[in-house]
Amino acid sequence: MDNYRFKYIFKKRLLILFGLLTFLLFILLSKIFYLQIIQYDRFNALSKSNSIKVIPIPPKRGLILDRNNVILADNKLVHSLEIDRASFSGLAEIKDRLKNKLNIEIDTFDITNKRISYLYENTVPIAFSLTNKQIASFVAHQYLFPELTLKERFIRDYPNGKSSAHIIGYINRINEKDMDFIKKQNLTGQYLGSSHIGKSGTEKFYENLIQGTPGFKEIEVDARQNVIRTLGERKPVPGKDINLTIDYRLQKIAENAFGEKKGALIAIDPENAEVLAYVSQPTFNPSLFTNGISHEAWADLNEKSSKAMLDRVTAGLYPPGSTLKPFVALAALNNNIRKPPFSIFDSGRFKMPNSSKVFRDWKRGGHGTVDIIKAITVSCDTFFYGLGLELGIPKLNKVLNDFGFGRKTMIDINGEKSGLIASKEWKKKRFNQRWYAGETAITAIGQGFTLVTPLQLANATAKLANPTLSIKPHLILNIDGIKQDQEKDEWGKQSYKDEDLKWVKEGMVNVTKKGGTAAFLGKKSNYQMASKTGTAQLFGLKKDEEYNEDILPDSLKDHALFITYAPAINPKIVIAVIVENGGHGGSVAGPIAKEILDAYLEK
Amino acid sequence: MLKILQQYKKRIDVPLLAVIFFILSFGLITLSGSNLDSPNIIINQITNIFVGLLIFSILIFTNPRILFVYAPILFLLCLLLLVLVHFFGVESNGAKRWLAFGAINLQPSELLKVTLPLMIAWLYQNNQNNISLGIHFLAVFIIFIPVYLVFLQPDLGTSIMIALSGLLIIFLAGIPWRLILTSTVITIISSPIIWMNLHAYQKNRVLNMLDPFTDPLGTGYHTIQSMIAIGSGGGFGKGWAEGSQTNLQFLPEANTDFIFAVYSEEFGFFGIAIIFILYLLFIYRIFILANHMQDTFSKLLTASLGVSIFSAIFVNIAMISGLVPIVGLPLPFMSYGGTSMVVSLASIGIIMSLNNHKTLIAN
Repeated sequence: MDNYRFKYIFKKRLLILFGLLTFLLFILLSKIFYLQIIQYDRFNALSKSNSIKVIPIPPKRGLILDRNNVILADNKLVHSLEIDRASFSGLAEIKDRLKNKLNIEIDTFDITNKRISYLYENTVPIAFSLTNKQIASFVAHQYLFPELTLKERFIRDYPNGKSSAHIIGYINRINEKDMDFIKKQNLTGQYLGSSHIGKSGTEKFYENLIQGTPGFKEIEVDARQNVIRTLGERKPVPGKDINLTIDYRLQKIAENAFGEKKGALIAIDPENAEVLAYVSQPTFNPSLFTNGISHEAWADLNEKSSKAMLDRVTAGLYPPGSTLKPFVALAALNNNIRKPPFSIFDSGRFKMPNSSKVFRDWKRGGHGTVDIIKAITVSCDTFFYGLGLELGIPKLNKVLNDFGFGRKTMIDINGEKSGLIASKEWKKKRFNQRWYAGETAITAIGQGFTLVTPLQLANATAKLANPTLSIKPHLILNIDGIKQDQEKDEWGKQSYKDEDLKWVKEGMVNVTKKGGTAAFLGKKSNYQMASKTGTAQLFGLKKDEEYNEDILPDSLKDHALFITYAPAINPKIVIAVIVENGGHGGSVAGPIAKEILDAYLEK
Repeated sequence: MLKILQQYKKRIDVPLLAVIFFILSFGLITLSGSNLDSPNIIINQITNIFVGLLIFSILIFTNPRILFVYAPILFLLCLLLLVLVHFFGVESNGAKRWLAFGAINLQPSELLKVTLPLMIAWLYQNNQNNISLGIHFLAVFIIFIPVYLVFLQPDLGTSIMIALSGLLIIFLAGIPWRLILTSTVITIISSPIIWMNLHAYQKNRVLNMLDPFTDPLGTGYHTIQSMIAIGSGGGFGKGWAEGSQTNLQFLPEANTDFIFAVYSEEFGFFGIAIIFILYLLFIYRIFILANHMQDTFSKLLTASLGVSIFSAIFVNIAMISGLVPIVGLPLPFMSYGGTSMVVSLASIGIIMSLNNHKTLIAN
């Protein structure tokens, strides 16, 4: 190949090459055209989502206050330790290191759940309420935990500790079940950024009011998620403040009066069915849950014998014992039987008709001549055995139903139990057994199958004290300072003759007078009270067996019950008290109720 | 003084230099937009350009005969440096590519982009009246040695670029088409063997290129972020210094390898069309010059230097737009960095020097 030919070929090949390079450049331009013009919308959106983040700001929960604005549930600003959502996989290892190196325990809930962690933007809190020492040691060792950041959050604070825990309830981390609920109710938007949700008590019942609405902060972040600037912000709307009908002063007196005893107490204003005090003992500290409760503490709370988490007022089921007698008596009078001056002679024994079976009165030797008024005052079992047999279960149950037994009162607390008013049909269905006449007799003295909640007892007593009361018992007073009017209940209307009511009330007033079962309570009283004592047997005595309190284990001792309202004329307050395994109602439960009456009426 | 300037003007090719000045200023504008708060980078880059232009100026006053005479020695020196890299190179990311001489970091593979074409052009010049198959094969062998050494560093991208720049000269020197076809077939058949010899990270890059969105936070991250930067630029871009992908550091290596993505984000398709026209003018002008030169050495060297700059531009842009795997290659005249800038401007200097001495080497 000579030089001339080389130049010729070179020129030709340059031309080919130029064509090739132009073609390559064209391919490149096509690709860029595709990216910039055809796919512009997609990449523009991607570029925005790369750099713009919408961070939810959780709202402050509304306060829970008593009727006089005493704070029961508050919010406090705490330091929280939060983990980057991208670092979930290392959580177990981080947990161990935090525990070993810095002695920080983190919450044991399942934050790695995708659905739940969706609520958070980029970090998920794993520990709340760090102490100053923990904060200091974390800051010093932060380089060991690049996945964690220290943030500030508002968290629930319960300034009164264990007091009123069952009314207030508690909040806990949102779990899978809550998430189902939130999704179903279409509330996901309300919970963005929130970590907790009401689990019981007012915190749960009024969750939708207390929760509030989250705000949002639109921020620009760089590739390392550092905030460059805030583009926009919408402030969160705090939840509504709620005034409960509870009078915290009274509540505290009631709790103190209970001391270490187990049981329940509820005080209601019979004028308007406002709940004034609501005690369930033993109780728990709701703060335990906000920081993530340990397994030990949880097991302790649910320990079988104490059942601190059980709300005994609405979900504790007790045999009413003799506290049922005023209502049984009213049922008889309403059916025109046993009306004064009808009376019996009580020898302390009641022989079942057409049977050899004998029921005994609680008092050996009996009460002598007893009419319906005295039967209530001295709690004469013998009188009521006969009354029950004559009245029959269906008529008795109708009146008990009128007074709200055997059904929920629909108070504004979740988990209320309806109790049990037994009938022939019920027994057939439940046990496939027939109903015995003896069961009718003991039902009339509040034993047998009958189960009531302390709330039902108080509610029924309130209806007795104020027959025109047709409002269900409730805890809500004001929402954001606005009074909440209660709707009237249809079934609450009473249609009992004043005369019948007068006899029953007379019997109850006499309970705290000389000869009554709680006579000692009335001795130093400046007002008249109408009461009934009760003792609920937890096991059946064998024939002729004596009940001896001293040799029985505590858990088998009788429950002590006491219902009362005062003053006897124009009643201002109704109280029902149950002391578990307390023994005789008048002497154990009565003084607790009396302390509250004194505090409320003589303030 | 005036005389020197007149001399200077005589020795440069104004159209080519004008095109390069436009590209250089686009690079500087883009770089300053994303480094508003770090003036050091801009000062450094201006220094780099200044040093490049100084060497460019020296070269246009240099008789290219010197290059021709020293071509084999320069080439062998480069080979020696490449061997030294193997033993004394600075290691980073599992690859040895740099030699450290005090404060200066030298990347011998970059120098090869000039010395290898020099060597091959020298070979053809010495046999200009007698270009036979044997010469072509000898050329291929000479190319193979440095390409293999660079491949071992390992630096796949650069080794491919060097190989291409060498093979290109053989093509321009008139290697018969049947040989081109045969070797293409052989390459395709042997590609599985090359694949097996690739490093894991290199394989990953190739695989990810097929669908970068399968692993958006892993190896596909860079490609995705740069595609987002380009795509979100749209028709007219987000405006100078307004690129969010760049300013918020989603774009990796925004000053160096990915500077074209910054340019695309801020100036859009319109800006790209303009710069593409400049690229086309650039290679067109170089080819015109090469065609007008008289001797084999000048022709081959000029075309080769031009095409190797053009290929670097092509591969870089193909890389950031997701057409080829990310190989770590700067964009000539625009990326921040001294070596690439100086080598590119030196190449232009050599081209213009050859252009001034059209008849000096011939005969």
